[in-house]
Amino acid sequence: MMTAAFSAAQDAPARAAGASAPPRHTSPAAGPHAFGAAGGDAPVVRLSGISKAFGPTRANDAVDLVVGAGEVLGLVGGNGAGKSTLMRILCGVTRADAGSITLRGIDIATDLYDTALAQAGGIRIVHQELSLCDNLSVAENFFLEAPEAARALPGWRRIFRARARAALDEVFPDHGISVDARVAHLQIGQRQMVEIARAVATPQVRLVILDEPTSSLGLERSRQLRAYIKARTAQGLAFIFISHKLQEVVDIAHRVLVLRNGRSVWCGPAVEASVEALVRAMGGASESEMRSRRAGRPVIGAEAPEQVRLSGPLVAALGRDVVLRAGEVVGLAGLEGSGQRDLLHRLHRRPGAGIVRKGNASFVSGDRQKEGVFPLWSVLSNIALGRLEGRAPLGLVQEARERDAARGAAEKLKLDPARFDSPILDLSGGNQQKALVARALVGEADTILFDDPTRGVDVGAKEDFYALIGTVARAGRLVIWHSTEDIEFLECDRVLVFAGGRIVRELVGAEITEQAIVDASFAGSGTSERDATAGARGLADRLVDLAPFASLAAVFALMAWVNPLTVSLFGLELLLGPALALVLVALAQMFVVGGSEIDLGVGAFAGLVNVLSATLLLDTPWLGALALVACVLAYGLIGATIQLRRIPAIVVTLGASFIWIGIGYTLQPTPGGASPEWLSAGFAWTLFDVPASLVLIGVAALVALAIDRSPLGVVLRGFGNNAPAMTLGGWSPLRYAVLRYMLASLFALAAGLSLTAINTASDINAGGPFTLISVAAVVMGGCALIGGLVSPLGVVAGALTLALVGALLGALGVSTDYNAAVQGCLLLSMLALRAFADRREARR
Amino acid sequence: MTALIERLERNRWIWSALGVLLLWAVLSVTTGRFSLHSLSGVAVSASFLTLVALGQMLVVTTGRGNIDLSIASVLTLSAYASIVVAAGSDARLPLALAAVLGIGLVTGLANALLVVVLRIPAIIATLATGYILATATLIANRWAAGFSMSPFLKTLAAGRVEGVPLMLVIALVAVALAGLLLGRTVYGRRLSAVGQNERAAALAGIRTGRVVTGAFLASALLAALTGMLLGAYVGGAFLEMGQPYLLQSLGAVVLGGSLIFGGSSTALGTLCGSFLLILIVTTMQIAGLPAGTQDIVQGIVVIAVLALAGGRAVRRRRAAPKTEAVAP
Repeated sequence: MMTAAFSAAQDAPARAAGASAPPRHTSPAAGPHAFGAAGGDAPVVRLSGISKAFGPTRANDAVDLVVGAGEVLGLVGGNGAGKSTLMRILCGVTRADAGSITLRGIDIATDLYDTALAQAGGIRIVHQELSLCDNLSVAENFFLEAPEAARALPGWRRIFRARARAALDEVFPDHGISVDARVAHLQIGQRQMVEIARAVATPQVRLVILDEPTSSLGLERSRQLRAYIKARTAQGLAFIFISHKLQEVVDIAHRVLVLRNGRSVWCGPAVEASVEALVRAMGGASESEMRSRRAGRPVIGAEAPEQVRLSGPLVAALGRDVVLRAGEVVGLAGLEGSGQRDLLHRLHRRPGAGIVRKGNASFVSGDRQKEGVFPLWSVLSNIALGRLEGRAPLGLVQEARERDAARGAAEKLKLDPARFDSPILDLSGGNQQKALVARALVGEADTILFDDPTRGVDVGAKEDFYALIGTVARAGRLVIWHSTEDIEFLECDRVLVFAGGRIVRELVGAEITEQAIVDASFAGSGTSERDATAGARGLADRLVDLAPFASLAAVFALMAWVNPLTVSLFGLELLLGPALALVLVALAQMFVVGGSEIDLGVGAFAGLVNVLSATLLLDTPWLGALALVACVLAYGLIGATIQLRRIPAIVVTLGASFIWIGIGYTLQPTPGGASPEWLSAGFAWTLFDVPASLVLIGVAALVALAIDRSPLGVVLRGFGNNAPAMTLGGWSPLRYAVLRYMLASLFALAAGLSLTAINTASDINAGGPFTLISVAAVVMGGCALIGGLVSPLGVVAGALTLALVGALLGALGVSTDYNAAVQGCLLLSMLALRAFADRREARR
Repeated sequence: MTALIERLERNRWIWSALGVLLLWAVLSVTTGRFSLHSLSGVAVSASFLTLVALGQMLVVTTGRGNIDLSIASVLTLSAYASIVVAAGSDARLPLALAAVLGIGLVTGLANALLVVVLRIPAIIATLATGYILATATLIANRWAAGFSMSPFLKTLAAGRVEGVPLMLVIALVAVALAGLLLGRTVYGRRLSAVGQNERAAALAGIRTGRVVTGAFLASALLAALTGMLLGAYVGGAFLEMGQPYLLQSLGAVVLGGSLIFGGSSTALGTLCGSFLLILIVTTMQIAGLPAGTQDIVQGIVVIAVLALAGGRAVRRRRAAPKTEAVAP
């Protein structure tokens, strides 16, 4: 039945809109309000004639898409068919080159359409690449998705906790996920569940795009999701369901849209579609073609040299060693994340522990941007890199020879040598992938490892790749191939099926069918479907949290032992009073580090404020105040520069530190000045006999803690952890970069003022040493330099510890010359300890 | 036209070279006495900077925002070490050279160990090693009694052949070698690959740790040798002598057109960048600007150049097809 529809669709794709949508033409000018007037029964969203090109690649070519309320649209297509681009356009992340977008009957110009509009239109997407911030709790992630209800008051999380719990309960009954658990502590399937629940629970949501939602869900969870989708559509929520599992699509969707090489090739009611017909429409090679190609290859003799031997726990389920021989094409199958990639990487990097590999191996990844291409290089240089393996570092490279070698490989791959000198990024995805395969070929490795090589590759390039694989293998190499498209395994001579990190089944020749692979992957997956008791924090975690306070106590005890006077209010003030500035600078640094950046100018900035407040602020208060405000604004500008121009914060802040110091010198060439009276008075009071400096340390800690726990603090931490996801979610990276730096500057400003009040004079160099110590305090306090992990109280404890260490050295009669070295050593040992701890955690 | 733009894109050192010519022309015209002779004074200062900046350039090329902040301390400590060990005699020069190379070697290896094995961000690691070395410098400062130079070193650092400063010759040879290393050797290719995409480089069979270690070693060694020569040139060592080289080495690399995010560097550009930066400083000195203002100008130049160059890298990335990164 669908075959007829399919051929008709090819003749007139624009009219193949299907049953539930009226036929339409793509000219946006034809009737912008034709459907708008309908109001209530207008489709949730209508895309017409959407086109988008990336360089030479036409990712979308005049694609139409309509979703009505209460409808499930299945979106299918092979890798590289343009589904992701279309969804990114729909979500406002990518701007379409041409076409029109209509949301609930309102026409929106494509060049105005952005993530904010898409969100306002009630469109939410659940990504395959997870878009949660894993340093935040489940509830906090719900807040990021729909922040409107948040108030900057204590207990603001309550509403999101309730929302998260309700949503999870509704979609996945018995989910067993604690809404206060940090996402990092959840398993991949649980994260997927949180993400789905978060999208569907958004108030005012009208359309939820599910991109491969079941890729990491077990059978039972997938069933729950399908049931939930059915229930919600009855209430009018619309879904776009994207999946490689075509049977799932046919089962759940009302209509199906098939994309192929960026064009829509078929669109019709799901009842008219069958898996087989969808496959044909997608343009993928049919099973019989793939099978016949495999059958056409010469047989490998049993005497073929052994290349790889797998033994031990990995193959325990088979009860024997797996031997892979030269000339074979071996597939690694199973549910995503069941250990296939892990084996590939172990085969590449460090054989051992049950894995023996002879000869050398090259690796070809389908994640070209992250793991393949060198974006600044030409195609030729990208290919020729494969020839360098094993050569002496000072050997010379000769372009003419590289060119010859690359040409040979390129011809086999049908890659035009005329393009050798173009930048690699000017090539389409398929051709980039060919260049990467060529790199492996010129390297003459005995084993080639492919990691999902046809990801995002057009149909034509895929065919070339399939044709090549057999030739490459039969020329005497072992090809090991991990794919996320089960149908590709029909090309393999042998398939190893993974479940729960082990090989559970070996399929050979005619045994290889998609069904057999799916059955085997689920057969052993009982262990991985267990939802586990995630979220519980181990004792070790708590100990790590306590470390800064424990070390503070230890140093303090030592100090008290050396000089018993320490344990008196007077002693405390003498020791800790001067630490106030350091505490404030460290808190300033903490906010910058929370955004995974480091501020090398923060100490100098405090020094400048010190000078400003002891000179300008003293002589001409209004001018001084103005200058201080300008300083804070300048810091915001630095944040904006770093964000907008995407340049490393360290270099900018290092440059800025010279500016601060230069201004300070110009204002006041030698130390001097005096503290304004009101400022001195501000630091000279006592509260129940406790001196102001000690109270203020506590106040600073509490203020920083309050900011960090507030909605603003959560957003800042979100950016520090997963900035792309935050941007996708509609948060402005520029605004929060500026906020982050201004927040930091306020703390540094307070530090400068406290220096003036306590020293009653100023010196532009007074703040300089704080820069390194502040980083040390932040690290000691338990913050991660990669960002997103912030702990204000720990930072304060860290800063106090470092201040005490200085005093302790003095009390022990060690020359101050050694201070810098001691601080440097402390910082390095902190970081080293942390590195070891992280590594142990990673191994767990 | 597009060919021209492409050529400029590929030969980014041209901009700094143009800057040098322009500033020189302006100085010659406005001051009237700024001649070839005074240029040779600039050349010597720029040569010292070039040597340090070449090392910094290699570290920057390794990517991920890697920067060597320990060079200032390495330079100062080496100057002290060479003076204390050589004690003014040529006979003890090999010993002094060994001490200086030892400082470079140990610091470079320590930096590499922290960055490669412990995965500590390069700026933090090198900042901390720099602090530790600063303490060593303070201690050396107590020992350094006399300021007598080895005559041979003095000749090397301050001598001239046919009016051309020897230091300039040394710097030009170093630039040529570094250019060869980057452009024509296996190591240069690997370095660029690591800087562009470390993960891809590792998967392409490159031992990234060794490549990064090499860069940190080269940087520390070059800074150490420069410290020895600079000590001989100025006739002594003092505590703050390395300080200006911290920002300036980075400034020279960035001005020269090397990408701050790594992967693409030019030795010739670093040479031009060094000259440009020294000329800017000289101009400010001739104009009689106070030291504070000079600091401000240098800071602004570095940030401004970065902000402009950063845009270039962004544009490149935008032009790239993004589809694959998100395709299912």
